[in-house]
Amino acid sequence: MTAPTIKVVDLHKRFGPLEVLRGVSFEVRRGVVVSMIGASGSGKSTLLRCINHLETPTSGDVLIDGESLCFRNGVDGERKPRSLAEINRIRRNLGIVFQQFNLWPHMTVLGNVVEAPLRVRGLPRKQAMDVANACLARVHLAEKATQYPARLSGGQQQRVAIARALAMEPKVMLFDEPTSSLDPELTEEVLGVMRELARDGTTMIVVTHEIGFARDVSDRVMFLHNGLIEEEGPPEALFGAPKSERLRQFISKHLR
Amino acid sequence: MSESLHQALDLSLFWEYRNVLLHGLAVNFYVFAASAILALLVGLGAALARVNRLWPLRALGTLYVEMFRNAPEYIMVVWVHFVLPLLLSYLIRSRLEFNPFASSVIGLGLVYSGYFAETFRAGIEAIPLAHVEAGRSLGMPEWLVFRRIVLPQVVRRMLPESVNQFISLFKATTIVSLIAVPDLMYDVTMITQQEMRPLPLYTGAALTYFVVVLAGSSALRALSERWRAKIYA
Repeated sequence: MTAPTIKVVDLHKRFGPLEVLRGVSFEVRRGVVVSMIGASGSGKSTLLRCINHLETPTSGDVLIDGESLCFRNGVDGERKPRSLAEINRIRRNLGIVFQQFNLWPHMTVLGNVVEAPLRVRGLPRKQAMDVANACLARVHLAEKATQYPARLSGGQQQRVAIARALAMEPKVMLFDEPTSSLDPELTEEVLGVMRELARDGTTMIVVTHEIGFARDVSDRVMFLHNGLIEEEGPPEALFGAPKSERLRQFISKHLR
Repeated sequence: MSESLHQALDLSLFWEYRNVLLHGLAVNFYVFAASAILALLVGLGAALARVNRLWPLRALGTLYVEMFRNAPEYIMVVWVHFVLPLLLSYLIRSRLEFNPFASSVIGLGLVYSGYFAETFRAGIEAIPLAHVEAGRSLGMPEWLVFRRIVLPQVVRRMLPESVNQFISLFKATTIVSLIAVPDLMYDVTMITQQEMRPLPLYTGAALTYFVVVLAGSSALRALSERWRAKIYA
C-alpha cells in the first residue's frame, strides 16, 4: 500500500463563535477520487479551503506526501507555523477549481493557463507554452487560446480554470462545487472533463451537489454534517445502504 | 465688431511668436510628464499604505492623501519652491535650493499623488478577492499576485477617471510660470511686456491649451475604451 498523497489530521476551523469544522481526519491515496457531499453549511467548502490553506485552520494539520502544510520543525524540534513563502511552495502541489471559475479577465485563455508554469514553476517560455497548450487540449479548448474569458460560456470558463490548475501539474486536484454556478445544460461538459481526469488517474477531492457524479465517478464518498464526517465509504455502500438517518434524508432530497 | 474685440481675436501676433511659444508648450509637456510620473508612483505607494493590514500605515496613508489632495496646486508649488528648501537646509545644515522646474514637478506631483492615491485605492478595492485567491492557490507569492493580477486590472479600471486627472494636471502646469519656469504662459507674459498687447496672446494660449487637451484626452479615452472592451465584453 502506498503512503497517502494527502492526509488531513483532526482539522478544526472556527470563525468567531462558530465552529465550522470540528475535527475532520481522512486520507486520500494516489489516483483516488473522493467526493464530499453534504448540505450547505456542513463545512465542505471550508474544509477544501483549509486543505489549500486559503483559510488557516484553527488547529490540525494537512500533510501532502508526508510534508506538513501548516507546520515546520524548528531547530529545537518545536513545531512552528510555516511562513507564507513555505506555504506557497507546498501549495503548488494542490490545484483548486472554484465555484465561480475566478479566471483573470485581463489575460487571454492561454495567458491564464501559462501564468503559473511560467512564473511559479519558472519554466522557459517555450516549454511553459507547451504545457499550457497541452492542458487546454485536455479540457478540449485548444481553439479558444487567444480569446478573453469574457467571451466564453460559463462551462468553457470553468474548463479553462481546470486547465489553469492542471498546468501546475499538482499531485491533487481540489474541486469546490465546480458546477454549482453553471446552467444545467453546461454542467455536463465540465463533469465530462472531470470524468476524463479521473479516468487518467488524477487524485481528486470533489465537493459537489452532483449526486450522480459522486456515485458514478468517485472511489469514495464522504458525507459531511455539522463539521464532521458523518459517514464515508464506497459510493455503492453509501448510496445503496446509508447508515445514518441524515444521509438517508439528504439522498432522498437530492435523488428525486 | 468693435476695434478692441477685433484685436483681441487677431492671432497674427501669436503666430509671429510661434517658435518661442512652441518651446514654452514643450516645457508644459515636460513638467506634465515628470509630475505625472511622480504622482503615479507616490500615489500608488500611498494607496498601498491605505489598504495595508497595519493600521498605523493606513492612518499615515490617509493623512498624506488628505493633506495633499486638499492643498491648492498654486500654494503647493510656491511652498515647495520657497519654504521647503529652507526647511531642508535647516535640517541638513547646509544651503539648499530647488530649481524652478524641480519645484514645479514636486509641487504638482505631490498634489496629484493625493488624487491618484484615491483612484488607485478604489481600483484595488474593486478587484475581487477571488482573483487574488486563484493566484495564491497556484503558489504565486503576494508581490507576484499584485503585479500580475491586481495591478493590471486596477490600471484598466482607473483609466477613465485618470484621463480627467491628467487633464487637470496638464491645465495646472500653467501656474508654473509663477516661479519662472519658462512655459507657454511665461512666454505669453514676456511677449506681452514687449508688445503691450496681451489679449490676442491670451486668446492664442487658450486655443492652444484647448486643442492640446482635447486631442490628448480623446486619444487617451479611445485607447482606454479599446483596451477595456476586450475584457468587459
